[in-house]
Order: sequence, then structure tokens, then C-alpha cells
Amino acid sequence: MQKPIYSSAFMRRLLRNHGACCGLIVLICVSGAALFAPLVYPGDPLRIVAMAEVWPGYDARYPLGTDALGRDIAAMIMHGARASLGIGVFAALTATLIGVTTGAVAAYFGGWVDEVVMRGVELFQTIPALIFLLTIVSILGPTLLNITLAIGFVSWNGLARLTRAEFLSLRERDFVAACHTIGMGNLRIIVNEILPNALPPVIVLSSLTIAGAILYESALSFLGLGDPNVASWGRLIGEGRAVIRTSWFVSAIPGIAVMMTVLSLNLVGDGLNDALNPKLRDR
Amino acid sequence: MSRPQLSKYKEMEHLRGPELGSQTVKRILLRRLLQLGPLLVAVIVLNFLLIQAAPGTFLDIMTAEQQVTDQETVERLRATYGMDQPAYIQLMKYIWAVVQLDLGYSYRHNAPVFDVIMAHLPATLLLMLAAISVSVVIGVLAGVIAALKVNTFWDGAVSFLAVFFYSAPSFWLGIMLTVLFSVKLGWLPVGGMQSVLLEGGGFVRALDILKHLVLPALALGLFYAATYARVTRASMLEVSRLEFVRTARAKGLGQRRIIFAHILRNALLPVVTLLGLQLGTVLGGSVVIEAVYSWPGIGSLLFDSVMSRNFPVVIGVMVLSAFLVAIINISVDLIYVKLDPRIRFN
Repeated sequence: MQKPIYSSAFMRRLLRNHGACCGLIVLICVSGAALFAPLVYPGDPLRIVAMAEVWPGYDARYPLGTDALGRDIAAMIMHGARASLGIGVFAALTATLIGVTTGAVAAYFGGWVDEVVMRGVELFQTIPALIFLLTIVSILGPTLLNITLAIGFVSWNGLARLTRAEFLSLRERDFVAACHTIGMGNLRIIVNEILPNALPPVIVLSSLTIAGAILYESALSFLGLGDPNVASWGRLIGEGRAVIRTSWFVSAIPGIAVMMTVLSLNLVGDGLNDALNPKLRDR
Repeated sequence: MSRPQLSKYKEMEHLRGPELGSQTVKRILLRRLLQLGPLLVAVIVLNFLLIQAAPGTFLDIMTAEQQVTDQETVERLRATYGMDQPAYIQLMKYIWAVVQLDLGYSYRHNAPVFDVIMAHLPATLLLMLAAISVSVVIGVLAGVIAALKVNTFWDGAVSFLAVFFYSAPSFWLGIMLTVLFSVKLGWLPVGGMQSVLLEGGGFVRALDILKHLVLPALALGLFYAATYARVTRASMLEVSRLEFVRTARAKGLGQRRIIFAHILRNALLPVVTLLGLQLGTVLGGSVVIEAVYSWPGIGSLLFDSVMSRNFPVVIGVMVLSAFLVAIINISVDLIYVKLDPRIRFN
């Protein structure tokens, strides 16, 4: 199975894209923050450590200041990176798994299978995702697992449509006919033969789905439906609302963190797309 | 017209227009309306399954909240809400009731769910309409400027702002706008829809609501403005390369006429499609924005109901919002037919 994605020409194309480069650097920083948070700020980031509402830059021990309860914002931001990235990545994986499976099956088998899947996609397109998400999480309870699965569950339809479109064009190709001729099973044709060829655009959309998932997570925790035991950027924004008259930075800082992460994921996604479709690069 | 490079962005993956083929408007309308029924049933079933999967029935919460301890009363309530029957019968009954526009009864509001939702709907529709207008006007304008001055400072500025607003969470943007315009400058109110003590006629009140509307509409609309700016720019650039634009130039039309009557008109098609597909997310986004600005709409109602596990209202909001989105999508299809004569005359 050939993987054109990792070729050096591909990497060169990706790195020539300045936006994607910046995005990649930011992403590495955020991942680093997520990875090293327990080392830099050991212990519970949600514990009270200092006076309330210390402004950023005022006390060197709290470079980003403290919130209305006197918790260290820098610690919460670093630990929040874990929640945001973790939920984002796993939710996108869930969405990709559901979307690719349904899209592939729909296009490969066609007929009523296709009909059922497409009606399902339409259904999820009609229900406003955020409203559905709120409902699911509030009914099943705000745990990390539920939140991750729920975000994946409302984000798969774009991936299903894309995979289906890719499969529809690939399934008529000669190499698939050849596979049928030598008696290969359906599952093997789908997974081993068609899927690798359909994957590049799906990977791009998956990376963009991570960005969407992070936004959903932050909105959920902003509304107070996040996991209460986990430091989260969205929740910090929500809690900072109470003190916007005196200390607006409490809301501002985690919002910038969300924005930078989402922005860099979008840039990398665009960069990936350009690198995978060199024909479009000059536009 | 092929639009290869439009697949460049995430949102553009939806841009394959509605599959209208050679059908006439009436048949499209009929088919779409017929699809509406199964769609709503599916929404109901989905929610019903979810609620069945939830730990604890809403009767438990209701009785706990209203401090009903008398077993007999609980049983009577169970019978009143039909919860003594098997789940599938409850489901059938609910679907039949929805057909008759009966979405159940909200014990918290002491009113039928349908009435409660209808009372909150105008505020949300107003907010949505304002946000969409903001996003289309700002987005298309910015996209046109960027496309006309492609690869200049203006193009770069529009791209930068688009990327900024595309990535910022709307609720955060809302809070930051509040900090700037309400707390620091004191120009606009912090939240709500109307001032409490306000004397004056209709005009004064309308102006008051408008003042309350500015920030939420901006916070909600700027994200979509960013996507429309990107789509309009890409689409303008592409259409301007097409043959008929060259023809228009060749026959000596003025620059302004070419841009607005020829290029922009055709470049707006993907914007319309995107608009239709995003209306559902505008409705979802308004939930969060309504929470930020305590805007008394569907979003606040849903949030309140979700928190108090008032499930009849939650399902009601889901069903009605799905209905709303489906109706809007059908209208977008019809607008599409109006805008693109090729669909009509095929």
C-alpha cells in the first residue's frame, strides 16, 4: 500500500506554504503545552493559589494572572490544552470512523443502502448540530467520554458525503474491476484497495473537523456542560464573564488560546489540501 | 460552470448545488415537502431513544423539583404523562400528537410546549435575521473588495480578518465586543432585549431593541461573514475568468455593470447555497449567543430546559428547529431556481 502522503515532495510543498508552517508551529507549541502541563504545573490546576484577579505581568509567578477565585490562569491554560486537543482529536477520529464507514458502504453497495445513508446524512444536516449536542450531553451526562463521542456523533456527515463522493468515482475504475475478477471479497476491496486512494481529501477534512470539535467543546464547557473536573478553555471564558468589568483578561486569554489553536488547524488543513492538490496551488 | 478550486475550503465541500435536474419548480417543492414528514419522524425517534437511554425519567426530576412525595400523586402524574405505558406506545402517541401540533405540556411554564416555544421564537428569528443580514452584507462586500483588489493590501486585510473571525469562538467574540462597546465605551447595553423602564412610543422601543440587537447580531454574524467573504472572493475570481465576462467586456459594457450585473450575480450562487446549508448552524449558534446576551429566545429556552431536564420542551425545540431548517432549505432551493436560469430551462 503506497502512502503518497509521507513523500518528501509532499512535505516540501507543505512547508513552502507559510500559513501552514505557522500553523504547524503553533500546533506543536499547543501540543507541547498539553504534554508538559503536569510537569510545569504539577497538581490540580483548579486549586486556589493566590489572590483573586491578579493582572497578567503583575506577579512573575502568575505570568497570565489569576481568575476571580485566585486560580493560576497559566496553569489552567496549559492543562486546558490537554482537554481541548484530546477531545478535538478523539471526536474527529470518532467522526471520521463513522463518516468513512457509512460513506464507503453507501457508495460501494449503492441502492437502498446508499438511500438510507444519505437520508441519515440529511437528517443530521437538518438538526442544528449545537442544539443536538447540547441535548445529547445534557441527557447522557457531561463526562469526557460522552462529550467526545457526542461531538463525533454530530460531526460525521460532511466526512460521509466526501468519502461517498470519492468512493463513487473510484469504484468504477479498472483496478476495482480487476479485484472483482480475481475474486477479492468486498471488505478487502473497500479497506485495502479503494480506501487508501480515497484517503487524502478525507484526511484534510478530518483535520478541519478537529478545529470544529474544539469549537464545539469550548461552547459546551462555556455553557457549563463540560466535565466539571477538567480544566477547560471554554469554561474559563464562561467563568471570566462574571468579572469582565474589573478583569476582562480572564475571558480574553483562554479565548485567544482557542482561536490560535483553531486557526492553526485551519491553516494546516488548507496547507494539506494545497499540498495534496498541487494543481490548485497557484490559485 | 465548473468550480474546481472551490473545494479548497471545508465549507465548500457542501457547494454542489441542490440536485434539481430537469424537474419543474412545483415537482421539486412537492418532493421536498413529502420528504419533510419522514425527516421529522426520524428527529422524534432519535430524541426519544436518547431520552429513553437517559438515567432517570423526567418524572423523577419533576417530582423532586416540585417536592411531590406522595406516591399516589406520582402514580397519577405518571398516568397523566402516559409514562405507565411501554416506550413504543409512548413514541407512537407522541408522533401522533406532533402531527396535531401538540408538543406536550411544560410543567415549568405551566403552558403547552408549543405555546412556550412560539412565545420565544420571534426573538430568535429576529436575532437570526439580523445576524444573517450582517454576515451577507459584510461578507459579500468584503469578498467583492478582495476580489477586485486581488493580491493587494486590501485583499490581504480581508483574508486576515476572515481567518480571524473564522477561528474565534462566537461567544468569546461576543464577550470581547461587550467589554469594548458596553463596559469600556458604554455605547451599547450589556444584554437583554429591551430596557426595563422605558417610556415612549413604538419608535423609541424599536430603537431600543435595535440597540440591544447590534452586539449579538455582530457576534453571531461575523463568523459567517468570514466564510462568505472567502467564498465570494474565490467565486468572483473564478467567474471573472469565464467567457461571458469577456463577451460583456468586448461589447463595451462599463466596469461597474460588468462587476455587479454579470460577475457578482453569478458569483453569488455558492453564497446562496452556503447560506441555506448554514442556517441550521446559525440557529445552533444563536443558542450560545443568546446565553451570552441573555436574549430571550429559543436558545435561552432550550438551555434552561436542558438544565432543568424539561424534556418535552427539549424535544419540542429540536423538532421545531429541524422543521424550521428544512423549510428554510426548501426556500433556498427555490431561490436557487430563481437565481440560476439554467436550472429552470433545462
